[in-house]
Amino acid sequence: MKKYILKRVGMSVVTLLVIVLVLFVLMQLLPGSPFNDERLSIEQQQVLMSKYGLNDSAPVQFFRYVRNMLTGDFGKSYTISKDTDVALLLQNRLPTSLLLGGLSILLGSVAGLFLGVAAALKHNSLLDSAATFFSVIGVSIPSYVFALGLSYFFGFQLSWLPMLYNADDGLRAFALPAVALSMTVMATVARFTRTEMIEVLNSDYMQLVESKGVSGVHLIFKHALRNASISIITILGPLVVSLMTGSLVVEKIFSIPGIGQLMVQAIQSNDYNVILALAFVYSALYIFVMLAVDILYGVLDPRIRLAKEDAHG
Amino acid sequence: MKNLSKKSLWLSGAASLLLLSACDTEATDEVDESVEAEAPAETDEQVLNVQLNVEVASMDPQIATDGTSFEVIANTIEGLYQTDSDGQAVPALVESAEKGEDGLSYTFKLREDATWSNGEPVTAHDFVYAWRRLADPDTGSEYSYIMGIAGLVNANEVLAGEKAPEELGVQASDDYTLDVQLANPVPYFESLMSFIPFFPLNEDFMTEVGDSYGTSPETLLANGAYEVSSYEPAATTIELDKNEEYYDADNVVLDGVDYQVIKDSQQAMLSYQNGDLDLVTLAGEQVDLFKDDPEFVNVQAGYLWYISPNTLVEGLENANLRKALATSFDKQQITDTILKDGSVPADYIIPDGLAVGPDGKDFRETSDTYLEYDPEGAKESLEAAKSELGQDSFTFGLLVEDTESAINVAQVLKSQIESNLDGVTIEIEQMPKKTRLERMKQADYDLGLTRWGPDYADPMTYADLWVTDGNNNDGAWSNADYDELVYSSIDGELSLDDEARWEALKEAESILLNDAGVLPVYQKGNAVMVQDNVSGIDFHAVGLPRVYKFAVKE
Repeated sequence: MKKYILKRVGMSVVTLLVIVLVLFVLMQLLPGSPFNDERLSIEQQQVLMSKYGLNDSAPVQFFRYVRNMLTGDFGKSYTISKDTDVALLLQNRLPTSLLLGGLSILLGSVAGLFLGVAAALKHNSLLDSAATFFSVIGVSIPSYVFALGLSYFFGFQLSWLPMLYNADDGLRAFALPAVALSMTVMATVARFTRTEMIEVLNSDYMQLVESKGVSGVHLIFKHALRNASISIITILGPLVVSLMTGSLVVEKIFSIPGIGQLMVQAIQSNDYNVILALAFVYSALYIFVMLAVDILYGVLDPRIRLAKEDAHG
Repeated sequence: MKNLSKKSLWLSGAASLLLLSACDTEATDEVDESVEAEAPAETDEQVLNVQLNVEVASMDPQIATDGTSFEVIANTIEGLYQTDSDGQAVPALVESAEKGEDGLSYTFKLREDATWSNGEPVTAHDFVYAWRRLADPDTGSEYSYIMGIAGLVNANEVLAGEKAPEELGVQASDDYTLDVQLANPVPYFESLMSFIPFFPLNEDFMTEVGDSYGTSPETLLANGAYEVSSYEPAATTIELDKNEEYYDADNVVLDGVDYQVIKDSQQAMLSYQNGDLDLVTLAGEQVDLFKDDPEFVNVQAGYLWYISPNTLVEGLENANLRKALATSFDKQQITDTILKDGSVPADYIIPDGLAVGPDGKDFRETSDTYLEYDPEGAKESLEAAKSELGQDSFTFGLLVEDTESAINVAQVLKSQIESNLDGVTIEIEQMPKKTRLERMKQADYDLGLTRWGPDYADPMTYADLWVTDGNNNDGAWSNADYDELVYSSIDGELSLDDEARWEALKEAESILLNDAGVLPVYQKGNAVMVQDNVSGIDFHAVGLPRVYKFAVKE
């Protein structure tokens, strides 16, 4: 297992480097420059280009970037927050996105699991239909519709919760956006949980476990849900990444200082270093979550664990 | 199985509910607490809540370039002069100013009671430091060229890197006396001094904080009405507190200004209606809904939107064809049905409300209008062009940046030009603003819908754009008479005679527009809502859009 994890980590690092390289090439192909404002003369543009080392050849820039990146230096922002370290920008914005994403995943998975388990146990009942209805709505209606609705009713009409993000409000500021974002998670998790649970509950080994006298919560959580969880985790992985790295529209509606909005702005204004850093963070998170999912498989399912140990020694 | 599942369902359900309700009660508890805590505070404190459309790009006066950054900086830092409610420059840190007889020197006596928020006095050295910093090519300031506009001795040489910043025509002869030498008289020099890039910075403080200047309240210094109490780069909330050390603090009524960046105009309006915001900017489609509201305010902005014709492109070198294009679209329809934000048709290039002449009147009050919408005239010009060029059909690309309003305007332009001018086809090319600017700078375009915002309250901020080989003369329009008038007004004979200079600038405008060197479209307006218990906010068309020093919230 250890060797397997090490190997996977090594592969992840290589993947990340390749991603940075690809991004770097793409960035070279982007039309325009960060410094083509009306008020900058050609000479001034040259001064700025050389100040940031953008006149050097692409390979030189690339290796310098990677070298600095390893020390945590992601360069400076050219336009969004002039001359500010990109690391500082991320340091301020990333935690907000991660917290919001984390909260919505937590909320969505708990609610989704409950709905899914309930629907599976009460297969073909009214409750099942209601849960299915809920998840179809949750999957098909985009989160910004929920965001607008929640913000209008709970923020504007009832004034229960803040309509707009303000760090002073603490967790309360996250309430509405987290609920809005959790709807998709809830619906997706509920759907998969239901399908998997129905399958697992009808399997032979469940009947065996039952006949051995295992019952109640123990039966559901230890035996049924554990077997069903493999596929739930598989779909949850990418969801976690996409939610943690920010939802552009929901961030905009609630004015949340996350990284989703930052990415769009960076692309529009050719703020190369911000684009690179964000894409890097996104990829790194993705790879990390995928790795975590793989490890979790092993933890949850001894068969996978054993197979891997066999395969990788 | 059935029995078991019932029980377990109940249990798992109860567990999940418990979790959810735990979240719930936590949230509601917090709501109650904060309502109790905040309600009395709000009535005591006068804090103005202002919406911004975009994050502050820089808190550094010599680096910032956008209106939002300028607004926040100007709340916290004061320069030699500031703009009053009529847009005139009035002394701020200047106690008395002495202008040399030839107009080539200024001696500013600074007030001695102004201090930075760290207790250090504001001195003439702070200006010298900031101005050298602005002109120094190593600073990479986009606005450094304004030092040349201000006409300081050696400014252009320092900008070009040929002389050291220390040779710039500005010195501190003592702590409170600032001496300035100009290479040529600059009639609007004092008004220019209210522009942010000329604001002072404290050298000791800058050395101390280094690169981290302007990244947190601790790395910022204030000498103005407010000081920053909460800020981080690209923050969406910025909080300013009243600066008790400010020399004129007695005249500042507000306890603070809180900014929130809200990009969704609908959410911003809801917050305004909620009472959470005191000042919001309306989007075009909202104006119809609120334009009869007593809290609705229409603010004239100095921005001019125009089409730049590339005279290097075949066909566009013909003045008749340019004139045909310029008079073939209904500007009134564009401002009234598309923009609806208080923008007005522009039959001129020097915006209304930009500059007041030696006669005490606005430039527009005493000058003509040009290139009005005239479909019949446009057709005649087109016929003339067709016979001059020996060509019956023309196809031009129109570069447009990919914002909603620019695209909408471009579509009206296209449909009106095409329906009024037989044989002319317009192809709209959408792209990000940065790409549009790049294409225009490289003269890789036919027509470009673009804009220019004024830097200072003088017609020159527009007039010098179209001199031959000018930095921003993308379309390469050229006219020797125009060049002569403009150059003479900058540093020649005309610069010595305010009245003649004013007349010359009017003549320059008529030369440019009678030849349709540019095709003006509209002058931008802003529609804002201000709560009726708020007064005293100054709105300006030039330099600083909004000033809050004298704002009051009852």
